Amino acid sequence: MRSAAASPTPGLTPGWGHGGTIVRITALKKTFGDLEAIRQLSFDVADGEFLSVLGPSGCGKSTLLMMIAGLINPSAGEIRIKDAKVAGPRREIGVVFQSPVLLPWRTVLQNVLFPIELLKLPRPQYRRRALELLRMAKIDEFSGLLPRQLSGGMRQRVAICRALVHDPSILLMDEPFSALDAITRDEMAVELQRIWQANRKTVIFVTHSIREAAFLSDRVLVMGRRPATIIDELAIELPRPRAIAVTEDETFNRLVRHLRKAIEASHAE
Amino acid sequence: MRNNIAKRTAAIAWPTLVTTLLLLVWEVSVRALGIRSIILPPPSAVFETMAQRHDLLLTHLWPSLYLTVLGFALSVVGGILVAVLISYSNIVRKGFYPVIVVSQVIPKISIAPLFIVWFGTGTMSSLLLAFLVAFFPMTINAAMGFESVDEDIHRMARTFMGSRWQIFWKIRMPNALPYIFGGMKISITLAIIGVIVSEFVASQEGIGYLIKLAGGLLDTPLMLAAIAALSISGLALYAIIAGVESWAVYWQPPSDAVAAGGG
Repeated sequence: MRSAAASPTPGLTPGWGHGGTIVRITALKKTFGDLEAIRQLSFDVADGEFLSVLGPSGCGKSTLLMMIAGLINPSAGEIRIKDAKVAGPRREIGVVFQSPVLLPWRTVLQNVLFPIELLKLPRPQYRRRALELLRMAKIDEFSGLLPRQLSGGMRQRVAICRALVHDPSILLMDEPFSALDAITRDEMAVELQRIWQANRKTVIFVTHSIREAAFLSDRVLVMGRRPATIIDELAIELPRPRAIAVTEDETFNRLVRHLRKAIEASHAE
Repeated sequence: MRNNIAKRTAAIAWPTLVTTLLLLVWEVSVRALGIRSIILPPPSAVFETMAQRHDLLLTHLWPSLYLTVLGFALSVVGGILVAVLISYSNIVRKGFYPVIVVSQVIPKISIAPLFIVWFGTGTMSSLLLAFLVAFFPMTINAAMGFESVDEDIHRMARTFMGSRWQIFWKIRMPNALPYIFGGMKISITLAIIGVIVSEFVASQEGIGYLIKLAGGLLDTPLMLAAIAALSISGLALYAIIAGVESWAVYWQPPSDAVAAGGG
């Protein structure tokens, strides 16, 4: 049941994608023992696109993300990034996890530079970039503080800067705001959009929040309960930058209702 | 900041007050009840003995402290090395680790006479006993520290293509540091016990020997003076470790709760 809103080419807001497929997922399948987590998943992600994967908790969407990150191997099918098959972690990917996973003994700046150390990239050059990212995330004044001195929202901003510091072309986000309170969440969504617009990365954003997916994305894929398959696809053609006030609009609410129906339909099955 | 200093002052002031009060009660009651010095000398007499016979006390204190620190240092190095093996080798973790944990039930002090048989009455026995008792908590704490790395942190490092070597030095090691200091605080007190017990059993020098000797001579003030000197040294060693800890593990409050399990 594909929705009418879905077009053959990914629905990009004009001016934001660079076109071209950067990630191609073909007949992906993942089983854990007898448990079938993902069944026959196929989709493309366009370069520069903000794609959300929306689904209920435990539907296998995090597993999907971990497979794209090269941390888990698929049971069948394949994932290609820039036409190269994914067989392990890759430099062109940055991951933001559900919790910030900062190293408590490192300052904010040292945490952001952690990937640079692991990847053995030239530090002085990336130090400048790290400071710039922190400024963009509006946390540059905290660069010398330790994680425990920051609020939850601040920590997740640091985690986003860390995922971007080595200039990856793809940003994977696994329910990054689910541990935050509702107000901080809205704020973070606006911030993320701003950071994304400035950096023009391809983002694959996994979430169980319908509002969040609709607000942030160029396109939303809806996944059903396990075993996960795509049950709906919806292009969000709202102009950017979007303010949080957009969530009050009728157009936005129509999109949200559409997505909710799709999820409810999958439950009824 | 000011609040912090006030808190710290209170943390020192109250125990000091209580200690002073207890010493005072001791002093007054011993005098009031006319208890003989051979049974229980007043604290003033103990301090007097410490001052008068400080040469004798120091002569015996140094070898004990030397062996304590050496045995402790060996247990720290050995404990960390074994802990690394436990976290990186399946054979060690599955085969040796359970044995190490279960062998904890052996009261290691009871091995002291056996060590005398094997290594003689010299310093070697004391050193080995100190090492042995201090080694276990050190190993187990360090192993816990290496193992307790959050799974998400591990995954994060893998997405940035961190090697095993990098993950060890940049994640596991700092993660284990608070646990290692927790282990050190337990181990240093145990190392003292190891040395003293060994000196009780058979030795010609050391503070344990002095305590036993004074006991044999019914010189209770000297005995208490030796115990006091030993306690003060133990406290100083513990304080040094706690001081280094608060500098090295700057990202979290001191692990007093961990150390409380030892002693």
